[in-house]
Amino acid sequence: MMKSIFQWGRFWSVTVIGLVVSGLLYLTIVTQREDAVTGEAHAHWVAGDELSIDQLDQLNIDLRLLFAEKCYKCHNSVKHKAALILDTKDGIFEGGENGEVIVPGHSDDSEMIRRLRLSSRNEDAMPPEGKRLSKDEIELVSLWIDQGAHWADTTLKLFREAPLELVKPTLPANKPGYSNPVDLWVNDYFQQNKIEWPKLISDQRFIRKIYLDMIGQLPDPSAIEKFVTNNDPQKYSQLIDQLLDDDKNYTIHWLSFWNDLLRNDYTGTGYITGGRKQITDWLYCAIYDNLPYDQIVKELVNPREESEGFIAGIQWRGVVNASQRIELQAAQNISQSLLGVNLKCASCHNSFVNNVTLSQAYAFANVFADTTLEIYQCDKPTGRFTNTDFIYPELGPITGNSPDERLASLSTTMVSPDNGRLYRTIVNRMWDRLFGRGLVGQVDDMDQQPWSQDLLDWLAANFIDQGFDLKELLKIITTSKAYRLQPMDVSSPDDLYKKDFIFKGPVPRRISSEQFVDAFSEKIYPFYQSTHYAQNLPAGNPKWIWHREIEVDRDVLPKPGVRWFRKVFDLKTFPAIINAEILISADSAFTLYINEQKITSGDDWRTVIRKEIDPSILRKNNCISIEAVNGGLIANPAGILLTLKVNYLDEEIYIISDRDWISLDQQPNIDWQKVDFVDTAWSQVRSFGDKGYWGYPVAFNFQENLDHKARAAMVALDPFSLALGRPSRENVTTKRGDEATLLQAMSLSNDELLADNISRGAKIWFDKEGDDLQKLSDLFYHLMGRKPAASEVQSLSSIFNVTTSQEAWEDIIWSILMLPEFHLI
Amino acid sequence: MAQKQTRRNFITQVSSAGLAAMGASIGTLPFLSSCQKAIRESKADHVILLWMAGGMCHTETFDPKKYTPFQKGMESKSVFSTFPSAPTVLDGISFSEGLESIGQVMDRGTILRSYRSADLGFILHTRHQYHWHTCYEPPQSVQPPHIGAWIAKELGPVNPVMPPFIDIGQRLTVGEGEELKAFHSGGFLGSEFGPFAIADPSQGLESVSPPRGMDLQRFEARNKLYRELIKNSPFEDYASSYHQESMMRSMERSYELLKSPEVTAFNLSLEPSESYNTYNTGRFGLGCLLARRLVENGARFISVTTEYEPFLGWDTHENGHTRLAGMKKQIDKPVAQLILDLEQKGLLDRTLIILASEFSRDMLLEGRPGEKIKDQVEVPDHVEELKHYGMHRHFTDGSTILMWGGGVKKVM
Repeated sequence: MMKSIFQWGRFWSVTVIGLVVSGLLYLTIVTQREDAVTGEAHAHWVAGDELSIDQLDQLNIDLRLLFAEKCYKCHNSVKHKAALILDTKDGIFEGGENGEVIVPGHSDDSEMIRRLRLSSRNEDAMPPEGKRLSKDEIELVSLWIDQGAHWADTTLKLFREAPLELVKPTLPANKPGYSNPVDLWVNDYFQQNKIEWPKLISDQRFIRKIYLDMIGQLPDPSAIEKFVTNNDPQKYSQLIDQLLDDDKNYTIHWLSFWNDLLRNDYTGTGYITGGRKQITDWLYCAIYDNLPYDQIVKELVNPREESEGFIAGIQWRGVVNASQRIELQAAQNISQSLLGVNLKCASCHNSFVNNVTLSQAYAFANVFADTTLEIYQCDKPTGRFTNTDFIYPELGPITGNSPDERLASLSTTMVSPDNGRLYRTIVNRMWDRLFGRGLVGQVDDMDQQPWSQDLLDWLAANFIDQGFDLKELLKIITTSKAYRLQPMDVSSPDDLYKKDFIFKGPVPRRISSEQFVDAFSEKIYPFYQSTHYAQNLPAGNPKWIWHREIEVDRDVLPKPGVRWFRKVFDLKTFPAIINAEILISADSAFTLYINEQKITSGDDWRTVIRKEIDPSILRKNNCISIEAVNGGLIANPAGILLTLKVNYLDEEIYIISDRDWISLDQQPNIDWQKVDFVDTAWSQVRSFGDKGYWGYPVAFNFQENLDHKARAAMVALDPFSLALGRPSRENVTTKRGDEATLLQAMSLSNDELLADNISRGAKIWFDKEGDDLQKLSDLFYHLMGRKPAASEVQSLSSIFNVTTSQEAWEDIIWSILMLPEFHLI
Repeated sequence: MAQKQTRRNFITQVSSAGLAAMGASIGTLPFLSSCQKAIRESKADHVILLWMAGGMCHTETFDPKKYTPFQKGMESKSVFSTFPSAPTVLDGISFSEGLESIGQVMDRGTILRSYRSADLGFILHTRHQYHWHTCYEPPQSVQPPHIGAWIAKELGPVNPVMPPFIDIGQRLTVGEGEELKAFHSGGFLGSEFGPFAIADPSQGLESVSPPRGMDLQRFEARNKLYRELIKNSPFEDYASSYHQESMMRSMERSYELLKSPEVTAFNLSLEPSESYNTYNTGRFGLGCLLARRLVENGARFISVTTEYEPFLGWDTHENGHTRLAGMKKQIDKPVAQLILDLEQKGLLDRTLIILASEFSRDMLLEGRPGEKIKDQVEVPDHVEELKHYGMHRHFTDGSTILMWGGGVKKVM
């Protein structure tokens, strides 16, 4: 049959997986082999020996380890080159397209041995590339065949597996000057590795770092002065307590970590057809209340309505790949996020990166399923089924006849103190966040060796003893001297994940996209002024509206141009109106009239305009009229958000923008602002709902304090944040890349939003009273957490040579913001 | 012809060559070939994907059937093509009326009339588009990259100052915007390889220039200040060399790019007005012009789309006949001119141009024969009004792909 181009595409993609994965497999096994439990006992055995069953098992396992290294790359259950599979008993005994490969008991008659012995010039020689088998290795294969080609019943564990149980190790002896348990373990580790304690960072650097780590914001110069001049040795833990007690800022900062980990976001795929659910409300409260971690896990795994979005996964309309059915998504996400084990590979076939099998993945997925799932291998049905089990069955069976009962059972098993894996995983993630590299380097592969098993176990066990208190965990880590050590010098990111990694101190980290934006908002100008997750809805709960634009009977994006809007409404005039206020924001620009009087205008939707209305202009019949413009050259989002509040002695009336408004797209008659204007030619507006494209403007309220700043964690992902490394949360993200990319640098250099915000901030600094050099020093201190050196002042002020100007301030702000020092923690 | 080929044989080769050229064989692809040498010799340096977003009906464009003119009350099932067909430069090959210019350049390319889309069940355009551009159907447990990102990662730009993967014409603020974002992405390769997006080709220049209102002199002065500050910073002692260096290096690259003279390729106002006017059938036409200018200046992978917006463009749920006349007008002259210009500039041989869509449309059938899926479009049994005259259902069992250049064998 002719293959259509699509089929080629598909074929091709599958091949790619095979190649890549087997490439990985090959490399992993080479590196893992030293970990594997292998005996060299077989070296003394010969063909005629009577071997015990244990010895035969050992021989077979040694053989399979050898095959894994030399043969599986091509001959595995997925790739089976020449139709030959060597990683299963059936595969070896069946042979490949050229017939049988072994004759049990007769190595000399076995095709496999013939090919292993051939000269590499012969095209039948195996393996055709890479290192050939040594004489001893061929001897091992021969011996195994001659001994009857026995197949050990045990599952071959090619990869290291970390133990589940958790025993709290006894702390090392006290050492003067080191009271924090973390430090005692680090000291123990340093002694074993003959490392001198490195120097500590200055208090000035410490306070910047701890602010960013605990609440994601920069300290003010006054806070820095106060901390640096404080001589109380308790000042570190006092400051940490103070930051951990700043519940709101702590929560918003850590929200990003949990959103990444739990794949929760405000926009993304799936929402359009109801195939996805946010858990933001639940999550925000859980962080704010410092919900014990075991409880967090329970509510994620056996969810309430507000937390069910995590295991519910993401569903697109239509047929999905079998490995992405929601039961498997649940199993994958719980495994990765909470247990630090990869189940994704095993959702299609036995894993190449750990010991998890396809059956195990389906057994775990069955927990979430209404009926037992048929196992699909690489999206093909196998007709096989498996039982229902946790990924670590040794922790006990999952019981129950319905998914609900099983989820309850699973959640109890998950949080059991016997499940050390759960607690090691979260402790390691926190360590990774604070030190730039986990105790176990790959935070999603908790089977790897930590650089200090004792420290990891002690922290995890202590975390349980302390009531699963995440803030306590953060505190015990950050009050250590280890946290205050000078950063390690890292010459390449690869060095961090080498097997022989030696801990010498924290690894420098890039500030996150959110930290950059929040620092900018705090010190320069509010970067975002609306949120997608609002704890308080805009006053009066108005909707974003615009003229309804239709093409071929369909709603389309509004075209650039002027549109006219009207809203006629009645008010009581008795008792008298005490006062009235209006809030309005519009994209792109507007002029607002009430009863033919111009009230206000604006040209930046991010700036909410709040205006007192003279009650005397309000009557029984009123008309709000707005002339608004959508800018740009091509169709783009446009909208108006408005709330008018009219206060009487004992009540408040709200007039809001909503579907009841009408609009027009052609210059209306001159009387269009009048109440009694005949507006039959006008049409009902289109409502874009609460958030529209813009989100909730943060200052859309009638309170005195107009704080325009939106913390970045609450804002929908936009291209700038994306470029700076905030992930689209289509999948679990447990570690953001911190390598600087060209895309980032381009965004930092010419992003329109950033440039605009710099320009607005520069205007403030330019207009500020005072000596320019003093202003420069202040700005520098605010951003960098230290005063500038004389040479830095000189460089900065060189730009004033001709004249100070707003532009000069723009360039100064930009230059400081781009410094590596600003970006590194 | 020395060697006689069966048509079937031929198409199989062409399609594999085409796909290979799209992804695998423009040079070496270590990612795909897993440390082996290139599968075959490279035949193209550039790729231009002309994306007919929304489901372009093959019977109304490049694979016309019997013309069945509109008659009030005609049976829906009797409608085959709603346009007469017109000959192309190739003997025996006709296109639907309105595609005469493209018909005239088909001697430089090839037609694949047997492309079948994936059977992904219930239709969602963005799922099929995701699948087409990544080879995976969503969702996936890891985010797969767009084919342009793949090529960007493996081959990088031809000219180092050009972004390697440029996506022209798709706004992400439209309906299904989040689903569009999901495959307009570098995926697991990292955002570095994601698309350099230009929604409006006439504004492309801004994305590769210093911030608005900043002249080159000031841009250079700003960079000088930044360097001075780094030089005078006492910070070096504290941070690891790798982190600092990678940041400084990326800033340097960005600086070089933003002030490089090649970026004038993005400036369409430099195009002679006669040529500009030929291309200017709207944003898609200007996108073709921008693509040509970018290829001339060493861009690697460019996608130009008619733009997907639910129910618009090729996504005709009604008025199919009327709307397709407009769509064909939008693509006919610019696509043909693009081929001619590239040929005239000697770039056609090393540029692979692909014109494709996520699936086709049919008057009656939603899905494919034997695997009909839930109807999303109401089609009456008898066509009483012109608005019901056209191909309104989503058909996945066959459509047309056109290819030119880049080593693709020519029909004939």
